[in-house]
Amino acid sequence: MSCEIKQKERIGTINPIFTCQPAGAQYVSIGVKDCIGIVHGGQGCVMFVRLLISQHLKESFEIASSSLHEDGAVFGALNRVEEAVDVLLMRYPHVKVIPIITTCSTEVIGDDVDGVVIKLNEGLLKEKYAGREVHLIPIHTPSFVGSMVSGYDVAVRDFVRYFAKKEKTSDKINLITGWVNPGDVTALKHLLSEMQIEANVLFEIESFDSPLMPDGNSVSYGNTTIDDLTATGSALGTIALNKYEGGKAAEFLEKEFDIPAIIGPTPIGIRNTDTFLQNLKKMTGKQIPQSLVRERGIALDALTDLTHLFFADKKVAIYGNPDLVIGLAEFCLDLEMKPVLLLLGDDNLTYPTDPQIIALKEKVDYEMEIITNADFWELENRIKNKGLELDLILGHSKGRFIAIDNNIPMVRVGFPTYDRAGLYRHPVVGYAGAIWLAEEMANTLFTDMEHKHNKEWILNVW
Amino acid sequence: MPYHEFECSKCIPERKRHAVIKGPGEDLTHALPLGYLNTIPGSISERGCAYCGAKHVIGTPMKDVIHLSHGPTGCTYDTWQTKRYISDNDNFQLKYTFASDVKEKHIVFGAEKVLKQNIIEAFKAFPVIKRMTIYQTCATALIGDDVDAIADEVMEEMPEVDIFVCNSPGFAGPSQSGGHHKINIAWIKKKVGTVEPKITSDYVINYVGEYNIQGDQEVMLDYFKRMGVQVLSTFTGNGSYDELRAMHRAHLNVLECARSAEYICNELKVKYGIPRLDIEGFGFEPLSSSLRKIGLFFGIEERAQAIIDEETARWKPELDWYKERLKGKKVCLWPGGSKLWHWAHVIHEEMGVEVVSVYTKFGHQGDMEKGIARCEEGALAVDDPNELEGLEAMMTLKPDVIFTGKRPGEVAKKIRVPYLNAHAYHNGPYKGYEGWVRFARDIYNAIYSPIHQLAHLDISKDEIPVDKGFQTAKMISDVKLSGEIVTSKTLRQYTGKYDSVSDLRKKTYPEFKKSERSE
Amino acid sequence: MENLKERIAQLEDHIMKKCLWQFHSRAWDRKDQNENILKKATQLLCDEPVELETPLDRCYWADALSLTDSFQSRYEWLAAMSKEDIKLLMQGLKERIDFVTITGSLNAELTDPRY
Repeated sequence: MSCEIKQKERIGTINPIFTCQPAGAQYVSIGVKDCIGIVHGGQGCVMFVRLLISQHLKESFEIASSSLHEDGAVFGALNRVEEAVDVLLMRYPHVKVIPIITTCSTEVIGDDVDGVVIKLNEGLLKEKYAGREVHLIPIHTPSFVGSMVSGYDVAVRDFVRYFAKKEKTSDKINLITGWVNPGDVTALKHLLSEMQIEANVLFEIESFDSPLMPDGNSVSYGNTTIDDLTATGSALGTIALNKYEGGKAAEFLEKEFDIPAIIGPTPIGIRNTDTFLQNLKKMTGKQIPQSLVRERGIALDALTDLTHLFFADKKVAIYGNPDLVIGLAEFCLDLEMKPVLLLLGDDNLTYPTDPQIIALKEKVDYEMEIITNADFWELENRIKNKGLELDLILGHSKGRFIAIDNNIPMVRVGFPTYDRAGLYRHPVVGYAGAIWLAEEMANTLFTDMEHKHNKEWILNVW
Repeated sequence: MPYHEFECSKCIPERKRHAVIKGPGEDLTHALPLGYLNTIPGSISERGCAYCGAKHVIGTPMKDVIHLSHGPTGCTYDTWQTKRYISDNDNFQLKYTFASDVKEKHIVFGAEKVLKQNIIEAFKAFPVIKRMTIYQTCATALIGDDVDAIADEVMEEMPEVDIFVCNSPGFAGPSQSGGHHKINIAWIKKKVGTVEPKITSDYVINYVGEYNIQGDQEVMLDYFKRMGVQVLSTFTGNGSYDELRAMHRAHLNVLECARSAEYICNELKVKYGIPRLDIEGFGFEPLSSSLRKIGLFFGIEERAQAIIDEETARWKPELDWYKERLKGKKVCLWPGGSKLWHWAHVIHEEMGVEVVSVYTKFGHQGDMEKGIARCEEGALAVDDPNELEGLEAMMTLKPDVIFTGKRPGEVAKKIRVPYLNAHAYHNGPYKGYEGWVRFARDIYNAIYSPIHQLAHLDISKDEIPVDKGFQTAKMISDVKLSGEIVTSKTLRQYTGKYDSVSDLRKKTYPEFKKSERSE
Repeated sequence: MENLKERIAQLEDHIMKKCLWQFHSRAWDRKDQNENILKKATQLLCDEPVELETPLDRCYWADALSLTDSFQSRYEWLAAMSKEDIKLLMQGLKERIDFVTITGSLNAELTDPRY
């Protein structure tokens, strides 16, 4: 009876859990103000990622393509980058930041994106756009390395590395959220504000839950500014909530500017939120206020209604971004549930040395499997052909048919969650996130009990 | 002034020849937008790539097939579950997608071995499925993997399986259209003629350029079956791999989306002498005319007429209910390719809306010819539009609704223009008589949504009406209608079910005897 | 003559709005379609026998018959025309359709030698 970590044995992917690196970099890029990324590759690498993100957020936003066509694939396509930068700058006068995000095709043909940035800085920007603040940032995200998760991590680091400067020291901290939702940013900022801590939040994507205004002028964009990014180099400290999505940037700041870094754990559940607050306190010397004691109490009150009556011993499978999956698994354990299968969708070799994963390995007292480089078939095959019994699935929308076809209740969480309304608005982090997650799980189980007539009468007196 | 210059695109003057306003008294020889040219980098066009045109648009609707993309997982993931092409085998092709998961070491040392292992693994995971399509992607095309050779090798070792290879990497052409072309040509070259079908009727067609969006194909097949016509294959919605290998035995190719599938019809005509008949499943009149032509071709026009009469009697009063309420509403018809011309005139004639603009993301000049020929004077026609041009057009044309894709629909929402999904539909299917009413119903529900009306109210400035607890769409739409129409006993709102397709799958059809002579 | 021109314009408008057969993707196919369908349409309007030997013939004829049915129901003046005049009208119509779809067409793909 123990927890095992293994790699998927098959070589191929049947129903991928993750998309590729450029998608992660694109998600980062929309969090920056006055920024439009250029993805250097085929048009599909942008068109579909925009569709994916817009399905999730139910918003639109801009990302450009260098539109690699046949000639570029043969002779090199750096001229397409030059033209794309020029066209973008001409038509979007507010744009100041242009990350140039590579893909598999342009990495394979060996386009020297760093070189073309130098060339553009020396040429086009000086000649045609003299006096205009423009930052071109090469971001290398070949699709055949890592996944959307590492693409996110690389892009955060590259933005920070480009802008961070050591100026006068400040009391602000850097809070690198990782790949989260607008609702998470709101919840995190609430905790900071209760603690009276000022922070550079990377990235300010709250505004992607944007209104439909009477003047019809509302657009969605990220709110992290160049100044915010620059100031990361002068911060008091960095807390990167997700080690796989922002950890690299925290390490960079620590190494380059001696800014102390605390990396993880993602504040999912009561315990990890406690840790987050403790880390904030340690870093800033600010006290945890009574208001948060009360909030925590409300959460505990809500969870107590659910744990031993409904959640205890429920078997759960969880898939998605690693920090999220680990955080959810830990929270489920606190709720007396049994996460029996965790699926991490890429081949990051450091997973087995992740302290949180090691802790699961050493301390879980029932059979649990953690599969790396996983695809959805690892889940479905176990259910269909190997007798895996589950009470609940936690994960994003791409796995929806496993839940539907096998009649297993599922809570949508992570990215993307396009098949449920408004999930981007709700946090999974903080005490508020703990309440939302637990109640969403409970209500999903209740609905399932009713559909299946499985002791649905138990709710009569609850 | 035929060509239209967008303010936002003055700095990229080559865009000027991509937009035209249909002027009074002008015909196609006066002005035609350029089309199917490489996209201007950085213009934020809405185009996809040739891989998605092959795999996502045409390949994947084939239902009994393992669809494997040879490359990193992103291409596969991104084009998975973003379409509404259903199938009557429990949507296998929607649910399962396969990637060879090419990683850095394979890029360096070649990925042919890994591909072979993938193929074998995939067949092993789904032992019932014996057919596979493999799509090259940018990465594996550039490293020069010989996908055909690997497929041949596997077919030799596993004689029960058949594999189709499509070499259409993302960069192979200005848009997804490059991929449509490549897969058309590859299919006829490699697969047509390799299976001999069982012919069960004197009247045999291939139904081409139809992707079963929300069940379109099944709606149309219902008509064909009622006529006693055997549909040998559908290219490719709800289509079966082996049936599509037998396309050469049809008597007639019935073509809907000429943009994506005319190539194979043209080749079938050259190679096998099968005539190509362009038809339309959208709109009462075009659909009736199409069924009649198929009937005429086979000498069974009375069977077609019986369907036309029955369906028109059943659904026309419902269509007309909406037409009365949609008259004069301004529409931007902004689809990908063929709906530009399939819908341009018929929504005007049968629903009364004014098409103020047409655009095509990936159409060619031929599509624009059809679209401009069909739309009304004054309409703005745009090839390969980009984000800013779309916004500028909406700001100046002030449409009541636009028909476009999901993400551009979000752009429209923010400037308070409701959208309908032109590719995947809102509550389709939209083909067939009932489907056409469903489309009208969706347009009506979009335009007259009480919530949409509220979006125009500024509570900080405007007088807020306090005497209304609610409004219904009808309360809004019927204000300006004559009493006669409002109280009409013949016109009625849509009366069909939410799911209009599943029942078709249970239907039985009369048997039409096949004559001795044929085949 | 003005009258004929006006009538041709009406028929042309109908074809351009309602039909798709004139819009095949290559010049040779358009030529072929225009020629055969309008020839058969003329024969139908003039009550002349129409060749229906091959599947291609039947396909042209289906489009032609659909067209002439519409012409006859929409344009009452057709019934009053003599066969000679109809032939002249249809000849003029074919010239116009050939012009707008082939010789005067701005579609650069029409001459691409491959499909």
